[in-house]
Amino acid sequence: MSRRLGRWLVAVPMAVLALATVYPLLFAANVAMKTRREYILDRFSLTGTLHWENLGIAWNSVGMARYFVNSLVVVAGAVALLLIIGSMAGFALSQLRFRGSTALFLICLAALFIPFQVIMVPLARTMADLGLIDTYPGLILAYVAQFLPFTVFLMTSYYRAVPSEIIDAARIDGNTVYGVYRRIMLPMGAPALLSVGILNALFCWNDVLISLLMMPSADHRTLMVGVTSLRGQYSDDIPTFAAGVLIAAVPVLVTYLFLQRQIADGVTAGATKG
Amino acid sequence: MRPAEPRPADRTGAGEPVAGAATSGSRKARDGRRAERLAPYVLIAPALLIIVGLRLWPLMLGVNFSLTGDGERNGTSVGLDNYADLFDDPLFRTALRNVGLLVLLLPVAVALPGLLATFIYLRVPGHRLFRSVYFFPAVLSPVIVGAIFNLLLAYDGPLNAVLGGAGAGPVDWLGDPRVAVFAVVGVHVWATFGMALVVFLAGFATLDPALLDAARVDGASLPQSIRHVIIPGLARTIQFVFVTTMIGMLTSMFGLLYVMTGGGPEGSTYLPEYYIWVQQGQMNRPALASAASTVLFLIMLVVGLVQIHLLRRVGRED
Repeated sequence: MSRRLGRWLVAVPMAVLALATVYPLLFAANVAMKTRREYILDRFSLTGTLHWENLGIAWNSVGMARYFVNSLVVVAGAVALLLIIGSMAGFALSQLRFRGSTALFLICLAALFIPFQVIMVPLARTMADLGLIDTYPGLILAYVAQFLPFTVFLMTSYYRAVPSEIIDAARIDGNTVYGVYRRIMLPMGAPALLSVGILNALFCWNDVLISLLMMPSADHRTLMVGVTSLRGQYSDDIPTFAAGVLIAAVPVLVTYLFLQRQIADGVTAGATKG
Repeated sequence: MRPAEPRPADRTGAGEPVAGAATSGSRKARDGRRAERLAPYVLIAPALLIIVGLRLWPLMLGVNFSLTGDGERNGTSVGLDNYADLFDDPLFRTALRNVGLLVLLLPVAVALPGLLATFIYLRVPGHRLFRSVYFFPAVLSPVIVGAIFNLLLAYDGPLNAVLGGAGAGPVDWLGDPRVAVFAVVGVHVWATFGMALVVFLAGFATLDPALLDAARVDGASLPQSIRHVIIPGLARTIQFVFVTTMIGMLTSMFGLLYVMTGGGPEGSTYLPEYYIWVQQGQMNRPALASAASTVLFLIMLVVGLVQIHLLRRVGRED
């Protein structure tokens, strides 16, 4: 009986914390639906009529539409490359015996512990030398370089669990190594590729530092960099500012609602397999 | 995640058996064998090229670069001058002091999600909902989180209104140099504790439930169970969370700082990553920025190694 009571006693502060977790976003959503006048008069109360037009204003007036497309292009390119390159390397490192495989795995592992901030100055120079600053391929390549060690590590540990008999059987059936990769490893890796893909998409979509560094011109801004510039343009029009923030958050919210499991799997894979 | 058994269709690959062709010793078969031997290298080449060229090589370049000059002395060797400049700069010293503060706050940032995960594991009412809700800010961009909290923490914003209702004076959350750094770190913890929570829950999944039941039968209280069953059982998970939380604090607060304070007020919210960005992007002192990068890398190495060492020792004592 007392144990049961204890559970409820714990649940109350946890519910308060849960409320504190969602409140900021609800507050922003509520503000985004107000008129400027309503916001200035009373910023807390629930808005009476929903002013959806704020979303349209934010979308059209500061180039949010353009930033949105920029982000989509870059994220799609980076994730596709990460999954292909990462699964190829993961297959080789987990299932194929070749000279130097351990050393190569250690190199990938070491790169995992180099944060972007530590290499950003020389990386920006290298990218400038290659003529890739302020180009889509440049930002895509920077994202691939940033998240590849993590992707290789995860795909390697996932593919280790594939029984080698399956690969041997496929080889006896006449498959080349590439055939095994395409016909066995890619389909079998689907759950891991989905998890890693979503996680990488979130990382790239949410990034601001790499994008600021690689895409200096206003035309090429990604959505998150666009959000940082909203503040300056709408410092006296908070509802439109909040509407812009909301637009930038919606794709992530939708992804979370449908793919929470896969995201959590990706986050925890490093912990349970390290 | 575990791979599923492949469907039978996956096994039947195209192409004729190689065995016969290999014994005939034809040129085609030799080429085929060589291609097969090279295949692992071909598969790993793109990854290796990118990782070495754009991660490891820049690390070397950066260290080297930090020993050369900026501006007029561009390209010439200046020894450790940049490092001397760095430690003379009050902004960088503030950044280092803030790193110290983060290290001190680290146990809280680990214990909070750990405790919440324990309650969720013990199935408090609503545990499924709590798990989903707590994890959700972790997927939001720091830029979005920062933008929203700019509104919430405004001098005339909701938080001060709540405080005012309770009779406490308004606090200038982002404008007071003594308060701002705590406000930003608080927002970072709010935004990321769900990440650690999920990792803890994955650790709990590997814990033998019989141990906890046995402790309960023996009449152990919850704190006793945590101390003697959960902490030793999750030693590796706890170690992982400590290291990743620290790395997160040192390398993923840029977005918040950029949106919420811009390093101010009075430079009080500088962190090394923000300092590197400002020196590289605004002040046009890339060599000085490289020196700061090298210092940040050393800090992370030392903090990481010390943590692993300490936590191993704690683990052994149990």
